Amino acid sequence: MLILRQLRKLNGQQRLQLGVEQTRRSMADAAQKNASFQYDKDPQPLFTDAETQRLLQSMTQLQLEKVFRKRTVPDNSTETKFMTTAQLEKEFLQTIEKAKKLLQMPPVVQIKQDTEHIISKDPALKDFADTKYVFTDITFGLRNSERKIVVRDADGTLAYAPLETRKRMNQLYFPLEGRRSYTPRMFTHDDLLQRCLDEHKYEFVLDRLTVQYEPYEAEFHNFSAKVFAHLNESKEFDLLRSTRHFGPMAFFYAWHRCIDDLLYDMIRRDYLHNAVELISLSYKIHQVPVDYKPILSQLEALKPTPAQRALAELLSCLKKPAENAIEHEIQTAIGKTEQDFAADEISLKFIEQYIGSKHALKKVQLELAVQTLKEVNLEKLQLYQGLKKAHGVQAS
Amino acid sequence: MLPLARGVYGSLAQITRNSRLALHTASVVRGKAEAAAENEAPAENSEETAANAAPDAKDRTNKIPVETSIRYLKSAAYKTTYGDEFVWTQYRRNHKGMYAPRKTRKTCIRQGKISTGNPCPICRDEYLVLDYRNTELLQQFISPFSGQVLSYSKTGLCQKSHLRLTVAVEQARDCGLITYDVPFREYDYSEYYGKQEEQKK
Repeated sequence: MLILRQLRKLNGQQRLQLGVEQTRRSMADAAQKNASFQYDKDPQPLFTDAETQRLLQSMTQLQLEKVFRKRTVPDNSTETKFMTTAQLEKEFLQTIEKAKKLLQMPPVVQIKQDTEHIISKDPALKDFADTKYVFTDITFGLRNSERKIVVRDADGTLAYAPLETRKRMNQLYFPLEGRRSYTPRMFTHDDLLQRCLDEHKYEFVLDRLTVQYEPYEAEFHNFSAKVFAHLNESKEFDLLRSTRHFGPMAFFYAWHRCIDDLLYDMIRRDYLHNAVELISLSYKIHQVPVDYKPILSQLEALKPTPAQRALAELLSCLKKPAENAIEHEIQTAIGKTEQDFAADEISLKFIEQYIGSKHALKKVQLELAVQTLKEVNLEKLQLYQGLKKAHGVQAS
Repeated sequence: MLPLARGVYGSLAQITRNSRLALHTASVVRGKAEAAAENEAPAENSEETAANAAPDAKDRTNKIPVETSIRYLKSAAYKTTYGDEFVWTQYRRNHKGMYAPRKTRKTCIRQGKISTGNPCPICRDEYLVLDYRNTELLQQFISPFSGQVLSYSKTGLCQKSHLRLTVAVEQARDCGLITYDVPFREYDYSEYYGKQEEQKK
């Protein structure tokens, strides 16, 4: 009897252990899931590549009212000036440059590992003091990454400071505006971050991330991966469009082969050239043997870059009504020009090719979106041609 | 409650210059009474019913939990009291002479009781609880233009309430409950990429 009881007890313990193991396994799974969302190799060469940068910038777009939205900063005073047309044009150019600067993407780099680098071991200095000493070079004009920071340990070894100490010392002597010396509660409490994400405060979280963490820190990668994953589920991509985080987001999706939701969103909003760019970016990252370059160059010839478009939008208020005013009016009423229709045709072909290939995961959804867009486009084209004919523009 | 109400209605009858203020104070008291009734109805506590019999409008020893305050801000009682306006818009300070003293009073509540005839917008309504979770209330005290906490010279809060307000706002920002425009960080790409590019060359 006794043995039986003990056996039972043992069994119970085993069961308990099993339970513990199960939870541990599920935890490990979750961790793995997180790990799978990390860059497995250095993404930097691909990200800084000129072509990738161009693609990402084009996908980001440049909506002036979004870039220069009213910010709630302590000083948001405005200046009113009288200007000649030439001066105004110059000012417009500067505005575009400023917008480009505001859209600078946070760098995508690998997680930096802490390496121990001992300068010298001096056992004679052991127990000289019971605390560590940190020496920081605070020479003016040095970059934060170049600054020499060393630590003298209590046992007498002199070594370069670990990354965490470096960050704290840099923040102490050369504070970055907006960065806290402690971790904000938003990033330490998962439920608070989850709440932010559920309320779709993506831009706020990402902005705060850029200020609080360095791009090579593990936290930066984890949190941004979390935000992007949540965004992929809520599909509110438009919130990040024309912000500095759109490029890294698209790069992240392309890297992890989950571009389909973003692609669907782009097709639905009639940003077909962006969809082509996204597909070619993913082809480029995964080295798929599809020649996308000729199509991209064709599209480039037909579509202005975001900066050019923004500049044209600014300059449009200066223009006098030209002789082909009716044609222009038709174009603005429909929202598309002949070039746009041509570009759409090319890009639709490319997108359909992608949907047909094995890389697309949500084929049915994408196909439906493409179909509806095709119908709408056809209607617009007919309307465009009809209007042109009615106004007698076609002859010219 | 009774003497206060009598005073209020007395002043109403006189139609003095600040009769509008008196009206508003009266409506605050009424709204509060409604809120109290709403709050205490489901509780049915013997102590609370006893307190209901002779409520002291100036008593502030009973701490209201934040959850109640959050519910109050969404309730009809709040709506009838303040309408669509902020909690502080209708409040006017009482002072001698043309110009108000630069600072507001130190505190409205002393020894658990309202010690003044014109308590500040937060102290006069005990259902307004300053807490970092009560974002709807905190938002009323943040300027939509500069994102800063409005000055007490504008809102009329007593110094103690103002301090609690600034602390609560800072906590809420830290938790991400209130969004603000994060300062722009410009990246020096060469700091992250520079060395490797040099190696390539």
